[in-house]
Amino acid sequence: MAETERTGQRERGEGTGRPLSLPSQLVVAVGLAVTVAAVAIHLGMAFLNVAPPNTVSKQHGAAIDDYIYPEFERNWKLFAPNPLQQNIDVQARAEIRTPEGGTTTTGWRDLSAQDGAAIRHNPLPSHTQQNQLRRAWDFYVLSHDAQERPNGLRGQLSGQYLRRLVMDRLGPRQDGGTVQRVQLRSVTRQLAAPSWSEEKTDTRPVRRVLPWWTVTADDLPEAKRR
Amino acid sequence: MTIPALPPHPPLPPHPPRPTGPPAAPRSKAAARVEAAVIRAHARVTGAALGPYQTAVVRIGFSFTWLLFLLREWPHRRRLYGPDGPWSWQMAHQLIEGNGAFSALMWSDSALWFETVYGLALLSSALLLLGWRTRTMSVLFMLGVISLQNRSIFVGDGGDNVIHLMAMYLTLTRCGQVWSLDARRAARRGPGALATRDTTGVVLWTLTGSALLWAQLGTEARLDWSAYGPLPGVGWATALWGLWAVHGAWWLARRHAPGEPRALLDVLANIVHNGALVVIMGEVCLLYASAGWYKVQGSRWQDGTALYYPLHLEYFSPWPALAEALAGSGLLVMVLTYGTVIVQVAFPFTLLNRRVKNVMLVVMVLEHLGIAVLLGLPFFSLAMIAADAVFLPTNFLRWVGGRAGRIRARIRGRLPARSARLPGQRAGEGAAARP
Repeated sequence: MAETERTGQRERGEGTGRPLSLPSQLVVAVGLAVTVAAVAIHLGMAFLNVAPPNTVSKQHGAAIDDYIYPEFERNWKLFAPNPLQQNIDVQARAEIRTPEGGTTTTGWRDLSAQDGAAIRHNPLPSHTQQNQLRRAWDFYVLSHDAQERPNGLRGQLSGQYLRRLVMDRLGPRQDGGTVQRVQLRSVTRQLAAPSWSEEKTDTRPVRRVLPWWTVTADDLPEAKRR
Repeated sequence: MTIPALPPHPPLPPHPPRPTGPPAAPRSKAAARVEAAVIRAHARVTGAALGPYQTAVVRIGFSFTWLLFLLREWPHRRRLYGPDGPWSWQMAHQLIEGNGAFSALMWSDSALWFETVYGLALLSSALLLLGWRTRTMSVLFMLGVISLQNRSIFVGDGGDNVIHLMAMYLTLTRCGQVWSLDARRAARRGPGALATRDTTGVVLWTLTGSALLWAQLGTEARLDWSAYGPLPGVGWATALWGLWAVHGAWWLARRHAPGEPRALLDVLANIVHNGALVVIMGEVCLLYASAGWYKVQGSRWQDGTALYYPLHLEYFSPWPALAEALAGSGLLVMVLTYGTVIVQVAFPFTLLNRRVKNVMLVVMVLEHLGIAVLLGLPFFSLAMIAADAVFLPTNFLRWVGGRAGRIRARIRGRLPARSARLPGQRAGEGAAARP
């Protein structure tokens, strides 16, 4: 405590020691009042933003969102209320044109498994390995319906994002041929319950298969197009 | 012990100390005590920027985390935030049109501009870490953080989120009072010395002002006065020009009005600093409280198996053998699962008792170190530890600072005098030994 005061004294340097004049004291009082109000409002908004929907946030939802977004968003519920209990693998296969002019289909490439392999024994996983594909798929699932129809702008963007990400991973050539069309699917497996538990979990994979799409220039990173 | 037990803010306006005279009417003891407390609180929040060591360690922690992250992602930078990324500039543009987020990367889609911004983000983190021109660097650091993150919002995680929030709050704190090059310079000049012309400061101020002017007039930057800003009604133009003007006013007052104007600005800066410190502490409490209370509702946290699952996720198991060994024991998993929830729910309340709070901090730092390794989330964990550090006791921080200073002095002593400055040495730590 004593230290704080000493530091404070030092920081204030010259000009202190005398009490402030009345106008200055008024400025200080206003400054203090504004700061206290701002702190209270900010923490109040932050609280309402993370709290479950309640009486206040239902009535003033628009004002709260207006305050919080876009810069004060909080997004840390990865392990709550329950931790993720399934491995979701995003897989892709391509229809290629062979040099002889024929068309064949490649096998499924497990892009998530590639991420997993890159993360294994890696003390500093990159966001490109840990977050990019995982969150792109999340984004896609959240903004598409069961018939794979996008819901508005975010849906369209998420579809395009996923296609570009997959093309970035696959590259323009596969198995010696040029990639013409690509198909995606996800394979979701529940994690088995712990060995000490008596719970039985169905760990059979669940697949979600997306329709084929034809690769266009929009699906390739700009730098490579130039 | 400086953890500012949040000053009990009384309803305003507080009474400034006034010359004593006989009170108009006889008053009860309680009223007198309340008034004394109000005066004390007023003196405390206006008289000093509280928690100098805590804010310094938060500054060092977050700038270090972000610097390390930027260096680690250097090979992937163009894929994550730049022109080679699957989240193209056009797509980011469309999304930002809608949500109004700030990103200097949207001012131009050229690769050169991207490299410039990434380079400036690196540089500003390094200089903020060292505490060189701390107040200016904290603003540039914030701009770097939010520019990169808002350019590609779908590659971040909880760690990025915490860095984003804290980078914004740090701009309002006097986080360079100790352990910084600024503090060293001030100490060399000696207390009470008259402010110098400070050519470096003037140049920096002119440069940042010109850059802002260029952005405002010469680019597509959406720098609005009242819309698209950090807060409703405050545009980024207001926020950034405002900060710039305040820096100019502080220079003017120090150089040309060392009396009352300077003292007044000083008091206002203390008030804002202390407010931001309360917000930082409040955010950390909210973070843990919400994480804990949501977990309480989860069936896996209730049955004591929650921890088992993340350890088996492909994306969060860099050391499968280690995870297997830990997850093999049902009892251990349950103890850690319950312990996590208890610590998170309890944390805000433990602040009422210093000793319990310090024990909690040790537990939380250990838990985050565990997460860093076991779940492969080192940057998230570092950011969380940096946030926790705002609650560390001053004695401990001064002890750490003193040790760092002694170690540095010993290293210096062993080397020939000419190479006394080690490359990569964190100069900020050396200043710790100073009172």
